[in-house]
Amino acid sequence: MTRSLPLLLSLLLMGIAFAFTTNPPYELQIPPSFGHRYTIPEDNPLTVEGVALGRFLFYDSLLSKNNTISCSSCHQQALAFTDGFNLSIGVSGRPTFRNSMSLANLLWVRNFFWDGHSKTLEAQALIPMNHPDEMGLAPEKSAQKLQQTKFYPKRFQKAFGTNQITPKLMAQALAQFERTLISANSPYDQYLRGKYTLTPAEKRGLDLFMRGSNPDRGIRGANCAHCHGGAQFFQNRFHNNGLDASPLDPGRQEVTGFEEDFARFRVPTLRNIALTAPYMHDGRFKTLEEVVNHYSDHIAQSRTLSADLRGMISLTSSEKKDLIAFLHTLTDREFIRNPAFSNPF
Amino acid sequence: MVNYVVLFWLIFSSASAQTVLKVSGEVAQPLHLQATDLKVLPHVEIKAADRDGKEHRYSGIPVIELLKKVGVTVGGQLRGENLVKYALIRAADGYEVLFALPELDPEFSNRTIILAESMDGAALPAGMGPYRIVVPEEKKPARWIREVREIEIRFAK
Repeated sequence: MTRSLPLLLSLLLMGIAFAFTTNPPYELQIPPSFGHRYTIPEDNPLTVEGVALGRFLFYDSLLSKNNTISCSSCHQQALAFTDGFNLSIGVSGRPTFRNSMSLANLLWVRNFFWDGHSKTLEAQALIPMNHPDEMGLAPEKSAQKLQQTKFYPKRFQKAFGTNQITPKLMAQALAQFERTLISANSPYDQYLRGKYTLTPAEKRGLDLFMRGSNPDRGIRGANCAHCHGGAQFFQNRFHNNGLDASPLDPGRQEVTGFEEDFARFRVPTLRNIALTAPYMHDGRFKTLEEVVNHYSDHIAQSRTLSADLRGMISLTSSEKKDLIAFLHTLTDREFIRNPAFSNPF
Repeated sequence: MVNYVVLFWLIFSSASAQTVLKVSGEVAQPLHLQATDLKVLPHVEIKAADRDGKEHRYSGIPVIELLKKVGVTVGGQLRGENLVKYALIRAADGYEVLFALPELDPEFSNRTIILAESMDGAALPAGMGPYRIVVPEEKKPARWIREVREIEIRFAK
């Protein structure tokens, strides 16, 4: 017995070394213009096996009550991880409360959902699983289902060093996969690198998008970049964007309790916006034309309306067309066709 | 009647007990401040030109007073590695701006950056108030952050 102890120890050490060498860190390719202002939880670094497992889970309808709905049902790659519906339909057949959000560049998002009620992707991932109108199955029960398969225990072993499946590990794997969903190669990005020439309409649209209006100097601007600016085309901010004079959805207020946050919602990314119709937290606008018309001509006054939207922009019809032409340059075909993000089954 | 009094008291006390400003991070004592806590701090009035180009009178608390209250390394302690500390100020909508501590400390700077509560004698309007940072003599008012909710002191790493 004592003689075999060194042997056992060395086998154990070899096992640990093997576990590390077979699950190397996943190297994220961070676009330089996006910067490094993001947080990956210390207890959930990205690994090749963790990301691969998260991808299986993302596309697996086993996680739902009746085995019909996966994360990918409402977050389809071809639509930049949205679903094309104003509200989504889950296992109950009843519509969800709000519109399905795009999953591009979540690494830089600090508050998830339209009202920002989750601070991390790990926390976010468990909520749709549990929701009766989404996947409708308690994560503990999903974990038990996965545990009973031949497929998953060995993959959790590879990713996390244990084959005991828990909701926490499921959420960690999903979060790892979602952090890899980076979209940064649209025609606009190629234009910034000198590899694409904007058409005259796209260039005029870009100018309108980026500039504030300055009538004294004869400058026309829609100033979309004020809220949707920066390399990611979103900011981690919440605004009431004037959809209704008497909003029904309290939005951010439900999270913070502040009256000033009534009807405020997250400012979403405009990357791939041409693919993510319908628009707004309730999916009320079917087209980009309707969206641009709203901001140009139909902002509804209410007590928490964003101070940035209190003056009407009133764009001409050709300016609206130019702006929409520019928005189409944010569609990243490589992102929606990237095999690393597709259904692995 | 008694019930109405109790109800009124409950509504009034719950509304007035709301935290309006959090100050946290590299501080001796993080604080969740209510409007009444801010009222009793020292106030000053300054004049500064807003985005409209016009000069207004702003009244409020010098940010340095808030930093002293929570125990930030200012004054004689603002030296050595403490010089790479900064205040990250966050608004209700998530907008954030940053000031290096020496910008806020009167031993370094002549200008007094305040957490303003009123403009030209009136409370700040909705969308701007209840608290807004005012930075005198700054050419572009992008750091005049509206609806301030949090001040976090951090070390640059």
